[in-house]
Amino acid sequence: MNPTLTALASMTLAATLSLTALHANAQQTPRAKGIESAGYVWNTPDPDLNRALDYKASAKRGKVAYKICKGCHLPDGTGKADALYPQLAGQHTTVMLKQMMDIRAGRRDNPKMAPFVGDWIVTAEELADISAYLKSLPPPVNNAKGDGASLAQGKALYEKDCAVCHGKSGEGDGKKFYPMVANQHYGYLLRETRESRDQGRRNASPEMVKVLKGYTDADVAAVSDYMSRLSVAKK
Amino acid sequence: MTSHRFGRAAALAVLLAPLAAQAGDASKAISLSASLCASCHGEDGNSAVPLFPKLAGQQAVYLLRELKDYKSGKRTSEVMQPIVSGLSDDDLANLAAFYAAQKPAPGTVTDPSLLSVGKNLYLKGNDANGIPTCESCHEVDGSGGGKFPRVAGQNVEYSLEQFRLYAAGKRTNGARVMKTIAERMTEQETRAVAEYMASMP
Repeated sequence: MNPTLTALASMTLAATLSLTALHANAQQTPRAKGIESAGYVWNTPDPDLNRALDYKASAKRGKVAYKICKGCHLPDGTGKADALYPQLAGQHTTVMLKQMMDIRAGRRDNPKMAPFVGDWIVTAEELADISAYLKSLPPPVNNAKGDGASLAQGKALYEKDCAVCHGKSGEGDGKKFYPMVANQHYGYLLRETRESRDQGRRNASPEMVKVLKGYTDADVAAVSDYMSRLSVAKK
Repeated sequence: MTSHRFGRAAALAVLLAPLAAQAGDASKAISLSASLCASCHGEDGNSAVPLFPKLAGQQAVYLLRELKDYKSGKRTSEVMQPIVSGLSDDDLANLAAFYAAQKPAPGTVTDPSLLSVGKNLYLKGNDANGIPTCESCHEVDGSGGGKFPRVAGQNVEYSLEQFRLYAAGKRTNGARVMKTIAERMTEQETRAVAEYMASMP
């Protein structure tokens, strides 16, 4: 048999074999103990996270490494409101690193995202670079907002319960790993607030969950709408 | 292809060689490519056999990585492994430079009805299933860059085969992101994207 034919024959065989194995070994989503477990402590030291935090990150390198993220989170980091992909531009680096490491370790369930933050895809150092790049981008002012029907209620709830950690303007606190909630898409805020209340967001802070326990769905919607209208963007 | 035309392609390769990212010397791969690779990949890297990849105009960084991975066995292929096993690292770099410098011929679309679905997925991804856009890494025009391969004009059969190998965990190199993406694509999506990539000039 000539080399071309031999090659053709074996590649066709390979194609047939691989078809049968299609989708046979999807990556398992990781799962670690979270808020549902006794003795859960929020933000326990994580070696991976500490490595990323200690690293001297570069936004310039991060822009290159961000290639594999921007296919969903978009080149400007603003995510997709309709797909519940959060906007990340201007977010605190510590917050993004903690969340990515929580997803990587399985403390926050996100099957869509999990394979893309696997340590076989990105190193802790690359995640630090990516976070530095995203932090350097301007937060959007055209993020998706709620229907505006209960803003007074939302403001009252926010200032009573949330502002103490997330800041009056929703700026968050990078040093304490508290996310910036300003300029975030309403749909994402709504889902994450509800999931935190219902303990579906398993890496949530128990303090926050305690506060949210008494919230009705209408309260969650009102406070999410209010947060979506907070802005730290430069005028 | 006549020897005259091949001579022109080779001359072009020599001319363009300094542009290639790798240190390979395209002119040193002319006889090697003709004797070793041309029967499957075409003299100028425009493989006429649908299952064999087109190499013309492919990213040199990507080509060299694939050749090295075939040699080391990191990318498994019963066909390619024995062919490259006797080659030196210089040979591989020269071959990568040679094929990167060739002019890609237009691809062949086998099912035009899938092009609009393929284009949409290539440029927008599929949010519901967590499939990112293809253009994010492979660029809007399909030219790729560095370790991300050129996909424009690629043979449909070859692209399909790679999607299947990725999804099955059998493409063992360069699979960091593509494995997950291929796992999430339906059979129709892989076909549509493969057709759209073939249609790109």
